[in-house]
Amino acid sequence: RPTLCLLLTDQIPTLTKPTLATSALGGFITASTFVLEQPRCTFTGPQDTVIWLVVARPEAVPSFNNSVKPGSPARAFQQFLNSTLAYMTLNTTLLNYPCPKKPGEITVLRVGSETSCTSDANRPTCNGPLPNPGPYQVKFLALNGSEPVAETAWSDPITLRTAKPPSSIPGKGSGRSAGMIALTSILSILFAILLAGLVAMLVWGSDVGGGSSTFSKPEAVTVRRYNTHHVYDQPAARL
Amino acid sequence: MAKSGDGIRILQGLLVFGNVVIGMCGIALTAECIFFVSDPHGLYPLLEATENDDIYAAAWIGIFVGFALFALSILGIVAVIKSNRTLLLVYIILMLITYAFEMASCITAATHRDFLTPNLFLKQMLERYQKSDTDNNNDKWMTEGVTKTWDKLMLRNQCCGVYGPSDWQEYTSAFRKTHIDADFPWPHNCCVMDAQGSPVNLDGCKLGVPGYYNSNGCYDTISGPMNTHAWGVAWFGFAILCWTFCVLLGTMFYWSRIEY
Repeated sequence: RPTLCLLLTDQIPTLTKPTLATSALGGFITASTFVLEQPRCTFTGPQDTVIWLVVARPEAVPSFNNSVKPGSPARAFQQFLNSTLAYMTLNTTLLNYPCPKKPGEITVLRVGSETSCTSDANRPTCNGPLPNPGPYQVKFLALNGSEPVAETAWSDPITLRTAKPPSSIPGKGSGRSAGMIALTSILSILFAILLAGLVAMLVWGSDVGGGSSTFSKPEAVTVRRYNTHHVYDQPAARL
Repeated sequence: MAKSGDGIRILQGLLVFGNVVIGMCGIALTAECIFFVSDPHGLYPLLEATENDDIYAAAWIGIFVGFALFALSILGIVAVIKSNRTLLLVYIILMLITYAFEMASCITAATHRDFLTPNLFLKQMLERYQKSDTDNNNDKWMTEGVTKTWDKLMLRNQCCGVYGPSDWQEYTSAFRKTHIDADFPWPHNCCVMDAQGSPVNLDGCKLGVPGYYNSNGCYDTISGPMNTHAWGVAWFGFAILCWTFCVLLGTMFYWSRIEY
């Protein structure tokens, strides 16, 4: 680190760098937003100290000047990546970062959530969505009035998601499943056997009378008793 | 002669029994296919948009085959009892035609089920859900069908996307064209809703806090009913055809053994 830098800037304390929120949050990094842990128990001092978030491209990090006022054109969100490589947003007082934080509480800051002021020049401290996947580096800066009193170190570079086009999704059909192949082949074989059976039936089965196994249709055989006068008369004659 | 007479009587009895079973299975097949065609889960628009809805065609064929089987089984019972050669021949030929149609239905259902993979639905969802610039009426119809179906699916089953909400982040989509990423990392239907139908905590949903958004994918709720549909048509039809095969072979043998 060049010592020349330290001599030129004010010596304000440098605290632990900001970290991304846990990846258990589904939206901790999206294509235009990211989520940071709040700087709880990082800053000390009067409760009305204002803590700002600085978002910058990595190129702007070595030459970053803490004394440039937030809200000026050199730190306006609307000029980010046009005429400036850093902007300041999400200002709040130390009162809103109480220490220690309650256990089980989710204490995060979502960078990029304000969509209504992205083009509004009257809102230079807009927390607007980031225009491209980055990478970006962030730090917190504590100002008393317009004097920097404390800062955190710069975070590791944060790269946002890049979405792929749907045409990159691999192809449609899967292979033929084993069940479908078994079903098709078995049914085809059975059908072929049936057709063969039909042909055999018509060709050979037509000549009936093949011996003892032939079956005759059951005829209605009835025994009719012939009663004639003679049968009735005879017993009468004997008597 | 008496012994073979008994044998033939047994064959007659078996054929009548076989035809009774075919008749009942025919009615069951018709009922099952009517149930599938009625689309109780409302998934038909998704299939229609894939332009690959042949499992529905298979179910339609199944309805008519079921009726045909029932009618033919009655004809078969009458023909076997009367031992009428002509009737039996008519029965056999009509049964073979019905067999062919049912075979087509089973194979179609089984084959087309294999096309319906998760990636197919993912691609369709990304390209069609909330698509605003539709080319023609057909495109508009399919887009509306897909959008309504997905909205219903996500709300009713508390799920999001095909694999999960990350689908909307990993890929660009028609939805992304009209809904910016910062406000809609995923559709608001992925949020946990209260009784009035609005998100319990919209910021929590956008952040992806477990409990405020649905992190599971909807593929299971799509593939479950579709699998039941396809395998129900295919394998129940297969079972009926195996039984019908035996009955038909028996009938052919019986036909060749009766005199005019």
